[in-house]
Amino acid sequence: MASLAKAGQNTRRGGVAPRVCEGVRSLQRPDWAPETIDVERPSVARMYDYYLGGSHNFAVDRAAARAMVAAVPQAPLMAQANRAFLRRAVQFLTDAGIRQFLDIGSGIPTVGNVHEIAQRHAPDSRVVYVDVDPVAVAHSREILAGNDRTAVVQEDLRHPDRILGHPDVRAMLDFSQPVAVLVVAVLHFVADDDRPAEVLRTLRTALAPGSYLVLSQASDDGRDETERAEAEEVYRRTDNPLWVRGRAELTGFFDGFELVDPGVVWVPQWRPETPESAEDAERAVFLGGVGRLGG
Amino acid sequence: MFARAWAKAVAGTSYLPMTHAQLETLLQRLTNLLAEALRAEPLDLRVGHRVADELVAAHIASAEALGRTVEVIQLRLVRDLDLVADDIEDRMARLLGAVATGYARALRDRTLDEQESIRRAAMTAQAEAEQALRASEARFRHQATHDPLTDLPNRTLFAERLAAAVDGSAGSGRRVGLCFLDLDRFKRVNDSFGHQIGDRALVAAARRLRRAVEPHLVARLGGDAFVVLVERSTGTGDVVAVAEAALAALSEPVVVDGHDVTVTASVGIVERRVAGTSPDDLMRAAGSTLHWAKSAGGAGWALYDAERDGREQARQELSAAIPAGLERGEFFLDYQPLTSLHDGSLLGVEALVRWRHPRLGVLRPDSFIGLAEETGLIVQLGGWVLAEACREAVGWTSASGQPPYVSVNLAVRQVRRPGLVQEVRALLRRTGLPPNRLQLEITESTMMTTSEEPVRALRALADLGIRIAIDDFGTGYSNLAYLRDLPVTELKVAGEFVRGLRAPEARADERILASLVSLAHALDLTVTAEGVETGGQAERLRAIGCDAGQGWHFGRPAPPDHILARIR
Repeated sequence: MASLAKAGQNTRRGGVAPRVCEGVRSLQRPDWAPETIDVERPSVARMYDYYLGGSHNFAVDRAAARAMVAAVPQAPLMAQANRAFLRRAVQFLTDAGIRQFLDIGSGIPTVGNVHEIAQRHAPDSRVVYVDVDPVAVAHSREILAGNDRTAVVQEDLRHPDRILGHPDVRAMLDFSQPVAVLVVAVLHFVADDDRPAEVLRTLRTALAPGSYLVLSQASDDGRDETERAEAEEVYRRTDNPLWVRGRAELTGFFDGFELVDPGVVWVPQWRPETPESAEDAERAVFLGGVGRLGG
Repeated sequence: MFARAWAKAVAGTSYLPMTHAQLETLLQRLTNLLAEALRAEPLDLRVGHRVADELVAAHIASAEALGRTVEVIQLRLVRDLDLVADDIEDRMARLLGAVATGYARALRDRTLDEQESIRRAAMTAQAEAEQALRASEARFRHQATHDPLTDLPNRTLFAERLAAAVDGSAGSGRRVGLCFLDLDRFKRVNDSFGHQIGDRALVAAARRLRRAVEPHLVARLGGDAFVVLVERSTGTGDVVAVAEAALAALSEPVVVDGHDVTVTASVGIVERRVAGTSPDDLMRAAGSTLHWAKSAGGAGWALYDAERDGREQARQELSAAIPAGLERGEFFLDYQPLTSLHDGSLLGVEALVRWRHPRLGVLRPDSFIGLAEETGLIVQLGGWVLAEACREAVGWTSASGQPPYVSVNLAVRQVRRPGLVQEVRALLRRTGLPPNRLQLEITESTMMTTSEEPVRALRALADLGIRIAIDDFGTGYSNLAYLRDLPVTELKVAGEFVRGLRAPEARADERILASLVSLAHALDLTVTAEGVETGGQAERLRAIGCDAGQGWHFGRPAPPDHILARIR
């Protein structure tokens, strides 16, 4: 899902851990220390919902989102284009016979969620949503209550081992069979220091042949420098600063996968439904692609 | 035709979770509904509401989508569908009004629903975070307050609970009890089975203890020491019952890895009113009481006794003050005459240590020597006595021949200590006291050892010419074998035999004494009788053939100048 604003990775603020642990443990947050909830800070997940025309957001989110729209007027369009890319990609995967989906950075479940698309065509599809934003996770749980082919896990993309080892993930998905991993509109919240390529490699090594990786992220290819700077400024107010990347870098993230046609492109250009819908594609700011694990 | 134009108009106004074809299909159906309504008589405005609801439900739900929908319907619907009616403009206006009204209402409802749902999610997340925080705090607190091996409360938690129990409504007559429990000789379990099995035996013991004393708090203080807190005790009996339950629970052997590990425990029990006590007081008292239980042989409990504790504490303080007393010169010697029964001459004197305690006044040896022996301070104190006695004795000169020898007690620890011989030799050299003017008194128990070392040391001392006396002969084992092997010069016969001489009918004591004397003389030893209090006793002893006497009859212990006065 996503544009510049999805459920992102909460940055590593000290949070609760240092206070609770007071010199007993190392500085690293222990597994059992909870996240803090701060609804006074804009959430990238709820900002994204706002771009998509939803009302699952608070005044702080709307203020930040409006500032983003002021800086980058096509932000809502970017969100829509990215969401449409997700829809087409899931449709493609369902047609390719994929029945297991791991959506990391799933955000607020607004319209057109992965399980809605997949289960409409293949009711036996199983989907695990992963997000680090506790509000997004709570909301997802409410929406998905009663759907026993879905699960919601609160975890951070930067800890792929924890995601892969999570009991709910293990219970829902069979990693001996192909799984589609969706990392859509979330990688731009992963700093270079957090080694996104390594994160993706960890995920890849858990996958069976025939699995897929779907990636999209904000790009600075051909962008105006001022516009980018302003967008980055907006996201500094959230827990998730922005890390835009170019096409070459995004292509590199598919290391180990075979890119499906048409490769890494502006998201509206990825298998458009109508020729018109791919016009002015670079305005969408998002690059995306789908890769298949061979072997 | 119209539906396609409508789809084009609303595409891109918001995210639509459907393909363009699906959108056209939907809008075609809605177009048919609208057309039917415009033709029907009477005009059913509910159709307008229904179309609006469907648009919003299909996520064609934005202000832009409404504007474009109104525009495209107004501009093209009548024309594209060839609708003909006299009042078509009127009907269209009313129908569009209904669509706009229904749409605005549906959009508002949707917004409110979404707001409500996100708020509920935020609240849920908040509650979960708080719960997780509490859980993690509880977990951290548990770790901080429990022993990781046994999972029993640790010293920290125990201290908190004890403080709370002692604090609170003092003066209300509330009582509190402690059982301080220690496994007996648990080190042996570790030594013979290894620490892993030792640890598992501890875990098993802890589990049994916890079950046995429920609902009372049992904490592990470390090692093999546990403590049970009995809050709201109604009397000593309550706490004794807890201690007995604990001991009973531990009495069955624990099977660890196929080994039968048997442990017993000792328990120190304190039970008292909350008012006027403190956690520290209670713990100290429980600790002392545990010590009593241990020294009574273990595998049982002891009850706190304030009087005994007071005595021991005083002794403890006294013992701790010995080194400083030595440094400040608070110790001094008195001497008691050892008098010849043949001619009444002064043969020697026994040095007796006194302590001029700054607070307690002059203390006799029986109030501090025992302590010094327990703590090992006797080595330092005994060394001082020996040196002081030699230093003073060397200055005594007699007008009539040989000055008296000085007799000094040697404690067991002093005799067993390596280096005794060198020490005495150096002392004699330093003071210039002739060896034959020094007598060392040892007790029978000193010789009750399998070790050769003390015997060798005594022999070396005797070879120097020093007199060796057996003190209190007749009260210990009176092993005659060592009289054969040891270089003993003299037997000092315990005062209780002499006391018997007072009663004319007590012939047994006299016979024992007579036999001892003849035995000693046969072995070439002299005999000194202790505790001679009367002239009659002295007379009998002389008649028996005893060589010398010591006791009040011959002179009480006195400062050295009294001795000097007697020999000049």
